[in-house]
Amino acid sequence: MVDHASAVAHAHDPNIGTTGLDNRKVGMWAFLGSDCMFFGSLIGTYLAYKGKSISGPLPHQVFDIPLTSYSAALLLASSLTMVLALAALQESRVKKAAGWLFVTAMLGLHFVLNQVYEFTTFALHHGLKLSTSLFGSTFFVLTGFHGAHVTGGVIWLLILVMLALRGKIDARDYTKVEIAGLYWHFVDIVWIAIFTVIYLIP
Amino acid sequence: MADHHAVASAPHGGGGGHATVRTYINVAIALAIITAVEVATLYIPGIPSTVLVLSLLAMSAIKFFLVVGFFMHLKYDHPVMRALFVGPLIIAIAIILAVMALFSAFVLLPRVVL
Repeated sequence: MVDHASAVAHAHDPNIGTTGLDNRKVGMWAFLGSDCMFFGSLIGTYLAYKGKSISGPLPHQVFDIPLTSYSAALLLASSLTMVLALAALQESRVKKAAGWLFVTAMLGLHFVLNQVYEFTTFALHHGLKLSTSLFGSTFFVLTGFHGAHVTGGVIWLLILVMLALRGKIDARDYTKVEIAGLYWHFVDIVWIAIFTVIYLIP
Repeated sequence: MADHHAVASAPHGGGGGHATVRTYINVAIALAIITAVEVATLYIPGIPSTVLVLSLLAMSAIKFFLVVGFFMHLKYDHPVMRALFVGPLIIAIAIILAVMALFSAFVLLPRVVL
């Protein structure tokens, strides 16, 4: 509940709109909603062309399920460390929050490196490139855009870590970190969908 | 304000979040178990493909809503935030189904063989 004191504080906060909601958070949710439709289009296109490639390699010939499962676990773990960072910041434990944010960024970076390894293996060992087949183009565009989202998130998190270590973030900046967290969890849920629809469903 | 167990609320979100660190860890454990079951399902022989696909989609949906509800605090957040996300999510699902229908690519429906 929003008590009277915080309501008065909100009245002087330029980020609080006439709805009483933080404009930055509303904006992030609106962006995530639009990103849902973006990834929905890419997933739909992948499924529409699934099984319609006239040349190989085929998905089951190139996918490395254990590696991809490991990558999925990395992103899920990073979602936990992200909320632990938020919880620490709310307790005004800024150094601890910075630590969790750094762990989150490193888990994300590990995911991206796994994806680079996967793409390289596909290209060099299986001859699967963006222009090889319908499977190649739809797969690389979908997972590549997701990887770009993760990379952007890693950079964002590392900037937050630096700001926290320089004392430029404290518990009052909770919303700044929460918005980064929303974005980070979003790349996690997109991967949940991609992992199942692209990799696991035969 | 936050108690010692780190009540994670959204100060400016308009909602009253009450997810504790214990809740976060429990959700993470659930996510790990579901992911393990998902992958293990692939290696169980003899599962009909329709059952396999539906069970994988169901487990994926559970994971999706666990992350959105608890980690993204949407369960506790203001209805406006929920509408901003769920509305476009429904449109995204409609886009996927529409594109698949355009290309006759429904994976769940049996193909008619003439």
